[in-house]
Amino acid sequence: MPIGPHHPALKEPVNFRVIADGEKIVRLELDLSYNHRGIEKAAEQRDFIRVLPLLERVCGICSHSHSSAFAKGIEEIMQIEIPPRAQYIRTIIAELERMHSHLLWLGVAAHEIGFNTLFMWTWRDRELVQDTLEEMSGNRVHYGMNEVGGVRCDLTPHQVSTALERLPFLEERIYQYVDMVNAQQTLLLRFKGVGKLTREEVLKYGAVGPTARASGVDYDARRDDPYFVYTEVPWNVVTDTNGDVYGRTCVRIGELRESASIVRYCLENLPEGPVRVNAPKIAPEGEIFSRYEAPRGELAHFIRTNGTNKVERVDIRTPTLANWTSVAMCLVDQNLADIPVIVAAIDPCLSCTSRITLISTPGRKPGIVTFDELRKRGQTYCQEQGPP
Amino acid sequence: MTALLTLDYVAEKMKEFGTAEQVRSNRIRIRTTPERVSNAIQKALDSLGCDRLITISTADNGTTFELFYHLIGPHRTVVSIAIEIPRDQPEVISMSGILSPAGIYERQIHDLFGIMFRGHPGLKKIILNEDWPADEFPLRKDWKKNPDTYYGGIKVERT
Repeated sequence: MPIGPHHPALKEPVNFRVIADGEKIVRLELDLSYNHRGIEKAAEQRDFIRVLPLLERVCGICSHSHSSAFAKGIEEIMQIEIPPRAQYIRTIIAELERMHSHLLWLGVAAHEIGFNTLFMWTWRDRELVQDTLEEMSGNRVHYGMNEVGGVRCDLTPHQVSTALERLPFLEERIYQYVDMVNAQQTLLLRFKGVGKLTREEVLKYGAVGPTARASGVDYDARRDDPYFVYTEVPWNVVTDTNGDVYGRTCVRIGELRESASIVRYCLENLPEGPVRVNAPKIAPEGEIFSRYEAPRGELAHFIRTNGTNKVERVDIRTPTLANWTSVAMCLVDQNLADIPVIVAAIDPCLSCTSRITLISTPGRKPGIVTFDELRKRGQTYCQEQGPP
Repeated sequence: MTALLTLDYVAEKMKEFGTAEQVRSNRIRIRTTPERVSNAIQKALDSLGCDRLITISTADNGTTFELFYHLIGPHRTVVSIAIEIPRDQPEVISMSGILSPAGIYERQIHDLFGIMFRGHPGLKKIILNEDWPADEFPLRKDWKKNPDTYYGGIKVERT
């Protein structure tokens, strides 16, 4: 039975060929070829200034992850030390990105089981995180914060205080989600015991991120291979022992809480100083295997430089690719109807963008609209339109 | 989490397969030959305590293809097993029997570099589209897009 590449439950093109015996799944074959854009090849032809925006576009959700993994790898090859303030800002953006990604996931998972109220709630709360990111970087999706040698924008005291004001509300909402996941029968019935993976299976099939941590495998590159300021900030690796979709939900909600406290710590303890150093245009010959904990799991960039201003090779292993083997295995002997929720439980990210930023409207004079103006324009537009 | 592996320990355990070098505090690389890669990975799993494969990285250096099998375990040290295979006969044994996650990475490498993995159960296209020409491998250094070749998708009439 073919599912996809265009399936109402999955927002991105992927093709599953499911072999089923009645309602039970026997085997799953995958085809991911609908989104290949040749980014690895294109990266070999751009210098370091132009390659970072390109790598951000590998993924629309974890855009900061890709540029950070590359930037920290190249900085290590160039042997430059980036200023502490830049490290803190990178961590703040990384954790805000994790929060928006996990809130998005929670909404999608709720939507897959037909629980659209939760979907609306999480996506509303996610807007707060998105607003913070937009205020800090100017963008909602591709933040463009990283550059080789530091970050592009500094944080103003006003940005720090507005971000801190939003956190208590978010934390309160996260606690409500914890209660809801443990009490709502709709969630428990569809999540418990579905898509189970034992600890041994996770290790055998090489699952990463929340999928692995939900089965008690405590791999987390933030702790195992410390980067940015994760050694200075107090935080814990969240694990669970359930191993099913319920466990993955618990891990992600726990990580939301941890991320909120990391963001708070970093905002409150933001050191003074410059946010970037001048990086050389060329990198010496070298090789680095850069690991980064993206919201979906461990991201690995293998970077090789050849003494010029371009990379010789950048090999990207995204967390979703690592998780497909485990999905194919845990679907065996499950119901056909559970495919969307099991697949959604790894938070597949094939390549995603959620919206396009327009600076000018056709036929009008080009100009930059500030965020507040845009919001006001939207509100007046809706008021003029009236209720449908 | 246990203590990081030391270079001496890894070099001692893996001495039959080749020399080990420490690239960074938690990265150890062992260079070996394509014939012994299977045994080397088995040995790393058995006696170095590695329990998972992070990825298989590939690079084309102009004369050979380089493959890096990045393994990790509770010691949180990345043990990379590196091999070089000739460009005119790009063939190596598949690791999918020992390590299941290798299967999907090998399919990807097969698509993009044209490396054959002997013994792989289903070396079908995964990353490139199904109507991509069979003898073109886009990540090889000498690959150039040929304007006359049909690379799949909707055909555009050129005038």
